[in-house]
Amino acid sequence: MRDNTLKYLLILPAVLVVGATALWPLYESLRLSFTVGRLNRPGSLEQYLFWENYTWAFLYEPAFWNSVQVTAIYTVLTVGLTTLLALGLALLLAPGGRLRSGVQTLLILPFAMSPALIGVSFRFMFNPEFGLFDAFFGVMIPPLADVSWLADPILAFAVCVMADVWGWIPFLTLVLIGGLAGIPQETIEAAQVDGAGGWRVFRDVTLPQLAPVLAVVIILKSIFSLKTFDQIFMLTNGGPGTATQTLSHYIYVNGMKYGQIGYASSVAWLMVIPMIFLTYAYAKHVFRRGQ
Amino acid sequence: MTGHQRKQAVKAVQLALILLATFIMLIPILWIFMAAFKNHIDVFQLKLFFTPTLANFAEVFRSPYDLGDKLINSSIVAFVTVLFAIPIATMAAYSFSRFRLKGETAMLVVILATQFVPAVVIILPFFVMFRDIGLLDTRLGLILVNLAIVMPFAIWMIKGFIDGIPLDTEEAAMVDGSSRLQVIRNIVLPMAAPGLLTAGIFCFIIAWNEFLFALILTNRDAVTLPIGLALFRAEEGDLWNLLSAAGIIIMVPMFVLALLIRKYFVQGMTMGAVR
Repeated sequence: MRDNTLKYLLILPAVLVVGATALWPLYESLRLSFTVGRLNRPGSLEQYLFWENYTWAFLYEPAFWNSVQVTAIYTVLTVGLTTLLALGLALLLAPGGRLRSGVQTLLILPFAMSPALIGVSFRFMFNPEFGLFDAFFGVMIPPLADVSWLADPILAFAVCVMADVWGWIPFLTLVLIGGLAGIPQETIEAAQVDGAGGWRVFRDVTLPQLAPVLAVVIILKSIFSLKTFDQIFMLTNGGPGTATQTLSHYIYVNGMKYGQIGYASSVAWLMVIPMIFLTYAYAKHVFRRGQ
Repeated sequence: MTGHQRKQAVKAVQLALILLATFIMLIPILWIFMAAFKNHIDVFQLKLFFTPTLANFAEVFRSPYDLGDKLINSSIVAFVTVLFAIPIATMAAYSFSRFRLKGETAMLVVILATQFVPAVVIILPFFVMFRDIGLLDTRLGLILVNLAIVMPFAIWMIKGFIDGIPLDTEEAAMVDGSSRLQVIRNIVLPMAAPGLLTAGIFCFIIAWNEFLFALILTNRDAVTLPIGLALFRAEEGDLWNLLSAAGIIIMVPMFVLALLIRKYFVQGMTMGAVR
């Protein structure tokens, strides 16, 4: 067989699978977003509206705006905290040696945990009667001794952020350690010879060279933060009230609990838009790396 | 303080911070491990010392929890997903790696992008379709949608491995009269085998931990382990000792697999953006 035919035959199954499992549902959810789309009314999935679902979300649904706000704050906090703490930990662990390599190996564990299970374990840790973290914070910060974390809107949100940061620091740390290892040691030594102190070396030599990897980390984490669902579902299920309801959770509740699949699809597509920008930014990094 | 003393102090602080970070990282995991071996009275106390019991592990496999069924579902779904994904991804990855294709960059970007599409967007149309054709609450249905999240990783990861295999042996064999397919079978596949295994394990972990698809598509027959966790949220409160035992059954196999491929974890997750 000629290579020219073969090369397209080889990608055909993958193209079909990606087309059927990812591109078709994307198209179909876009179509559904313009329909009445009630799960319990058979004809309504072909009954077209114009932009009603979208205008409904924007104009008449405070719960939609609430979930936008929750998702935005959640994303900013988790991306910021995870990146900063992971950078600190990466700098601590990068030098290597037996202890540091051992800790690096352990870092893989939280990341192999299913996010749903992370949600469960944090609900456990913050249980008001026998949660370990609950007890710990109660001793350290006395005003928090008698609060029920997950029943308070702000504290429940804080627990969600903590669980997310806990789950993602290990992975981002490993990525950043990889990035630090790629910085030529000579550049750092040269700066030290010139008399630069630790902070100057970090700011003027390490950080600029780490910037591309940091960009990858921030984009990737933003994407995952925006999508967050599993942990929230198991930890607070969006509550108390809607205090921790992210966009994914809002879409899930509207689509599956209320059966408003058309409306849910329109909100889902509103969520795709920021993803397109982030993916574009990410793809640029991947291909620059490949050249 | 002399320079030497200062260095020592910095070292001590660093060490303390590393140990603190490790402690924070491990404590929720250790806590689950301890609770899984406690009887349900000990769970309600912050006890460090208790008489360990295996009763929780026995109970989660009994009715009404029947975690064994969920274990079988999770294993089959994850395994079959990988079984389909890896050969299909390998063929595509070889082609992307070795040939110039029309629209190659566009295709690779689209494949990358599908990975970033929120699962909740993909699952709504699948729910409607599966309801119409009777695939709700089946393993087959779950396997199909799992391919959506696993394929992009697999293609990018395996492409990375094949990119790393030098071209010379392949070219030499072609000169000696081997066909392209023979070259792929006799030279590329054996050399890429460790990479394929790594990608397979990576995809297995993703499929095993997958939550949202299973939550929406299953309710009784095809329920997987992560969804099974919800069984232990009874009216009288969460059954923490059982939840923890189930948690261990979910996470320990994945810990073992993740440690096996830890060198490639970063590369896989970032789709080659960081090596």
